[in-house]
Amino acid sequence: MTQNGENKTALPRGFETGRATQEVSYAKKDAAPQKTNTVDLRGRPGGGRGGPGARMAAAVEKPKDLKKTLRRLLRYFGRESGLILLLFFSVIAVTVTALIAPSLQGSAIDRISEKSFDSLPRTLILLAAVYGVRVLFTLSQTLTAAHLSQRTVKRMRHDLFEKIDRLPIAYLDTHSNGDVMSRMTNDVENVSDTVSQSLGSLVSGVLTVVGTVAVMLWHCWQLTLISLVTVVLTVLVTKKLSGVMRKLYRRRSGALGALNGHAEEMITGFRSTVAYNKEDDVIAEFNAASDELRTVGIKADILGGSMGPVMNCISNIGFVIVAAFGGFFALKGMITIGTISAFIIYAKQFSRPINEIAQLYGSVQTAIAGAERVFELMDQPDEDNRGEKPMEKIRGDIRFEKVNFSYIPGKQVLFDFDLDVRPGEKIALVGATGSGKTTVVNLLMRFYPPDSGHIYIDGVDIYDYTRDSLRKNTAIVLQDTVLFSDTVEQNIRYANTEASEEEMRRAAEASNSAYFIERLPEQYATYLKHAGASLSQGERQLLAIARAVLADPKILILDEATSSVDTRTEKRIQDAMVRLMANRTSLIIAHRLSTVRDADKIVVMDHGRVIETGNHEELLEKKGKYYELYMTQFAGNQI
Amino acid sequence: MLKYLKKYRKWCILAPIMMMGEIFMDLLQPHLMAKIVDDGVLEGNMQLILTVGIRMILLVLFGGLCGILSGVFANLAAQNYANDLRKDLFSKIMHLSFRQIDKISTGSLVTRLTNDVTQVQQMVHMSIRMVVRSGLMFLGGIVMLYQQSPRFALVAAVALPLIVGAAAIFLRMATPLFGVVQARLDGVNNVMQENVAGARVVKAYVKEEHELSRFDLANDLLCSTNLRVATILAFLSPIINIILNACVVAVIWIGGRTVEEGLPLRPGAIMAAITYLSMLLMGLMSMIMVFQTFTRALASAKRIREVLDEPELIRDGGFAGDTGGRTGEIEFKNVSFSYPSSGGKKVLEGVDLKVNKGETVAILGSTGSGKSTLIDLIPRFYDATEGEVLVDGVNVRDYDLGALRAKIAMVPQKAELYCRPIEANIRWGKDGADPWEIKRAAEIAQADDFICATPEGYYTQVTEGGHSLSGGQKQRIALSRAVLKDAEIMIFDDSTSALDLSTEAKLYRALEETRPDTTKIIIAQRIASVRGADRIAVLDNGRIAACGTHEELMQSSPVYRDICFSQLKEDEQ
Repeated sequence: MTQNGENKTALPRGFETGRATQEVSYAKKDAAPQKTNTVDLRGRPGGGRGGPGARMAAAVEKPKDLKKTLRRLLRYFGRESGLILLLFFSVIAVTVTALIAPSLQGSAIDRISEKSFDSLPRTLILLAAVYGVRVLFTLSQTLTAAHLSQRTVKRMRHDLFEKIDRLPIAYLDTHSNGDVMSRMTNDVENVSDTVSQSLGSLVSGVLTVVGTVAVMLWHCWQLTLISLVTVVLTVLVTKKLSGVMRKLYRRRSGALGALNGHAEEMITGFRSTVAYNKEDDVIAEFNAASDELRTVGIKADILGGSMGPVMNCISNIGFVIVAAFGGFFALKGMITIGTISAFIIYAKQFSRPINEIAQLYGSVQTAIAGAERVFELMDQPDEDNRGEKPMEKIRGDIRFEKVNFSYIPGKQVLFDFDLDVRPGEKIALVGATGSGKTTVVNLLMRFYPPDSGHIYIDGVDIYDYTRDSLRKNTAIVLQDTVLFSDTVEQNIRYANTEASEEEMRRAAEASNSAYFIERLPEQYATYLKHAGASLSQGERQLLAIARAVLADPKILILDEATSSVDTRTEKRIQDAMVRLMANRTSLIIAHRLSTVRDADKIVVMDHGRVIETGNHEELLEKKGKYYELYMTQFAGNQI
Repeated sequence: MLKYLKKYRKWCILAPIMMMGEIFMDLLQPHLMAKIVDDGVLEGNMQLILTVGIRMILLVLFGGLCGILSGVFANLAAQNYANDLRKDLFSKIMHLSFRQIDKISTGSLVTRLTNDVTQVQQMVHMSIRMVVRSGLMFLGGIVMLYQQSPRFALVAAVALPLIVGAAAIFLRMATPLFGVVQARLDGVNNVMQENVAGARVVKAYVKEEHELSRFDLANDLLCSTNLRVATILAFLSPIINIILNACVVAVIWIGGRTVEEGLPLRPGAIMAAITYLSMLLMGLMSMIMVFQTFTRALASAKRIREVLDEPELIRDGGFAGDTGGRTGEIEFKNVSFSYPSSGGKKVLEGVDLKVNKGETVAILGSTGSGKSTLIDLIPRFYDATEGEVLVDGVNVRDYDLGALRAKIAMVPQKAELYCRPIEANIRWGKDGADPWEIKRAAEIAQADDFICATPEGYYTQVTEGGHSLSGGQKQRIALSRAVLKDAEIMIFDDSTSALDLSTEAKLYRALEETRPDTTKIIIAQRIASVRGADRIAVLDNGRIAACGTHEELMQSSPVYRDICFSQLKEDEQ
């Protein structure tokens, strides 16, 4: 390269836009895994209740509209008002007994020091009874919270799933599957767990603090004020530390996300790494990421780990203060020894809920941000459900009239698209990738609405038909076969659950899939695990065809697979498709020569417009675009 | 795996020592408190209260410091340990052979590198800290309790087996359910995945209600199982609390009786005994927890060791690859191959094939005929079980691996892209390539047009797994990368399957023009893709059934004719 000097100033097309945005793209990359990773971390606590404060510090997300989401969330939980009442009642009972027990314990010790042994058993029986009540209500609290959480999860998930099936295809096409799924699992579970658990903790925390202070004041107000010193200390230290810690933990989950991302990418892309001799570079990159994780990890964990000893320290100082001043007051005869014993427990008891509430604040915020994501999905507009006319007994006459369409505003895909298909005709759509073939199918199925223009079936606008009846009269066989984790039989019956056993088997015969189904361990009752991952691609295609055969629609849409399978299966698929198309109006996105040759009409598309129509011979004679396509695409004359 | 810890030996020793300091301070305190109560308060000795109080505060501070330091040392040890382990493991993985990677599976390798290493790190952290902590708390608690009064120790002796028993029973009941929960969760995810990914089919067949009922079934199962686990575990903590509370009552009662009998025992000691008792039981509980993490971490450690212990299967030959004028010549001599997992069934059998410099050879055959396996032998992704593979007249086993692979640019069936800008993905093929070279490569690979059409051009970020790109776009980026590599041999492993034939044809034409001297091997399933190759080798059941030009094969090979007729119509010829 001699013109190196020039290169620096004039960059080739495609590069010039970049330079400025480069930083941005890298920044985006760094941000992305961070977010997904926090979701992951929360999703799987995996024994990681870890050190104190680990929960609090796991990156907190800020909700956008706290009040609104909270209100909506409470409505969700509000439907279980019985359970919530029971929960509150249990929490209050537990808290109250927890307040009484130390006093009873203290008075028992007083009995001993006063040497009034006769009344000791009575006090102890009372103490045991209080303990018993507390344990019972603790149990009821935990059980109620679990039921509340599971019931809410179940309902929320149900609602969300129902929503997902009602979402327009456009939403699913533009959002990653992982994102939608993570809302269904992680977010929902996180929300309900946090809410049902923190609801109890919040109530018991506030009650404990208020109650403890009250009881302490009742015992001896001077000692109470002195013990409050430790509370102030606790709050201050927690606040200070958790702020720093949150930042560190966020950095750590960022580093962890980067490391995991890198590892996953490089291990799954092992072939390319090795083929390009990139092992050393990749290892160096990994080591750098690993070192970074270690450094941040050490910092975060040391700080997180200090939380315990520091708190321990503060509570022990409180203990000494209570003992010393308590001793002093006892000497003065203001309090008894039993009171000191009670105070020691009380002082411990009320610093704990203060810590807990501080921690709750963080996790509740994260949960509410999760709830926002869930509600955001629920608030998506439903798929367009216009049209009242049920579609019955149609002839199968399809007409596109001046249809314009764009997926993204400004990037038009179809321009004044016209197409006329007479009943029973086989139409092959042909054209380069991106010419708009698949879009035609998307519009006909009402997966996407046209920007302008109309599509008629039997002379009626498809948006005047009910959506469901339109779809029931059309069957599609897609390039990527979709099977469900269910039996072979159920997969074939998918379109027509009422079909008889006989009809189902005939569909399997007609689609040439009977031969392999009969070789499966349990034939038609074989359960397809992982959506039929154990079947070959050809077999999956045959099953999809069987499904369409059983659906017996008037209109058929076929998107031929581009990658072919072995010769014999290929033949079977071809035969099955020909049989399937008989007596139906068929629209085929064609990739195979035999399909175009047999079509009644070939529609050649180019950049969203129809540029040629006619049958194979006519179009070849024309020596136009089809001829060109045919020569390169189908006959493959030039390599 | 302990050898990784050797480097951090001093942290491993210091951490438990510091922990001991913290625990001793914790253990001393109730004792001091008892002293304050019994000797200070009861005797009316304020002086003693103050001196002991100050001593206590100093001890507390010292204990806290020990605790923090113990955390610091334990973290230094555990995290550095995990870091070293992780790096070695990754480096090991990068040097495994394909055979080994297949055996363990990439998904499992990723889990071992991430989750399992974290588990082991936690185990190290726990064993140098928590084990000492809970053990000391337990033993110290017993000793101190006994010191207050031997009778109190009796209470502990009764309570201990009860607690251990309760924990064991409940954990045993709950543990198998964890597996069930996982399976149920998979069930829910499965239905969800199918509906999100297969939304078009669900909608096209108007099956929304059916799917909802299917989902409800899975959802019900998951929630009820979750509830079962929660219910079992909900009983555990109250039961342990009952035992603990009963102990407290018992200690006070026994204390009372002891004092009543006139034996030397003072109220402060009873208070201290209660504290020691709860310490002891907490120690026991955390020992049970540690034990649980341990069993999980040991399984992780085993999985890591499995990878580290894999032998180095591929040995470098050391031949630096300077073959003089002979560049890009490949020869298979009576090559046979079988995968270890297939039980000796041969994927390739007695393959003889010579590809000359600058020649374009297409390999055709149905799925499972051994095409990919054959070309994987060239860059030594696998080694032939019999026979030999020569590149430029030298056995591939004699090459230095790096030198061998530098001669070959291979495009796999599934384009492997990385989360970086497109430009960096292409540059993967050649370090330090300048923008002009990258653009030129993309032009040849027919990728330039669509890249330039994106708003950020070559700096467009490829998202995870390349989801933002279509299959054809991904393949073209992978192809650009291979073109940029400028190797003597190019191998396309069905790597143009998502391109339409006219784009594919343009690609091959551009390659022919710009790289006439490069040897090209093309695997394809479409006849049209391979028709123009210099020679076509037809692979059938691991053997080369025929080899020649399209016209020759149409004359001589029934297998080829069969494939042709299924794709083109019979009368076409």
